[in-house]
Amino acid sequence: MEREQLEKTAVHYPYLRGLLALPLGFMLIMSGLGNMEWGPFRQEALFVGSVVLALGGYVLITRYYEKNYGSVTPKKRAARVIVGNVATLLGLAGGPILIDALNLPFNGLAVSWALVALVYYSVAIGLRLHHVLIWGAVLVLGLLPIWGDPATSDSVNVGLIVVGTAIMMTGLFDHRVLVRMFESRETNGEMSNVRD
Amino acid sequence: MSETSDDLSLDRLIHEPGRLAILTVLSSVEAADFVFLQRATGLTKGNLSSHLSKLDEAGLVRIVKRFVRKKPNTNVELTPEGERRIADHWDRLERLKGLAQSSAEE
Repeated sequence: MEREQLEKTAVHYPYLRGLLALPLGFMLIMSGLGNMEWGPFRQEALFVGSVVLALGGYVLITRYYEKNYGSVTPKKRAARVIVGNVATLLGLAGGPILIDALNLPFNGLAVSWALVALVYYSVAIGLRLHHVLIWGAVLVLGLLPIWGDPATSDSVNVGLIVVGTAIMMTGLFDHRVLVRMFESRETNGEMSNVRD
Repeated sequence: MSETSDDLSLDRLIHEPGRLAILTVLSSVEAADFVFLQRATGLTKGNLSSHLSKLDEAGLVRIVKRFVRKKPNTNVELTPEGERRIADHWDRLERLKGLAQSSAEE
């Protein structure tokens, strides 16, 4: 009986449903491409279609997890959860604004989201190798002096595409961790299937 | 001070591996549904149902059956008694482990 493994499975499950990140990442990428009016993405209808696709995808993915892995209600740690969520939102929204206001030669969006992601994962479930590699790469890319005038819309839109891609990649790897976590429960087969 | 046998006696209802796993999972969350408990513990549906019934009869868990999008859903949570007993049980197991390690070192 691995107590720690059982407890981690329950506590980490909500955070490792990585496929739920795919619609969000997709929308960020589509937003960036749409803003840049790149090729067919200048069509507003395409963006509207993307929103519908993302919302539909989110609903289907949620049902996939409920059907195949079930659901848990995390323990209420109200103050910590509220503070964490507020800090995350402030970081995501305020970070780019602050970096742009200070006229720093970084991509504010990429740097902010990378820092918030690294802190979020380290607090929620502990950083895994793929978190460090993906968001470390986004952070480094955001800090490189290649963005010209960071306040230009192209810089922001490329940032959206980079962050959206990182979110999708992280989601896929998180889902893989989830699958392996449950496969190990089944393979161990150490639980009693004998009625007494 | 030596531990008495009562201090270290294991709760037979909880010590069964399947039920211990169920209660350990539930001790980490507010509630979990049947599908999650089945996947997390590796128990078959029949055995999970049987164990949950025993735990419910003993007052260690509360089972709520409802419909979610017209499909039956079973949600399970620990009662305060269940929380206390699983915490006590793991505490006793840790103390037994400590005693065993001390004996081995002597």
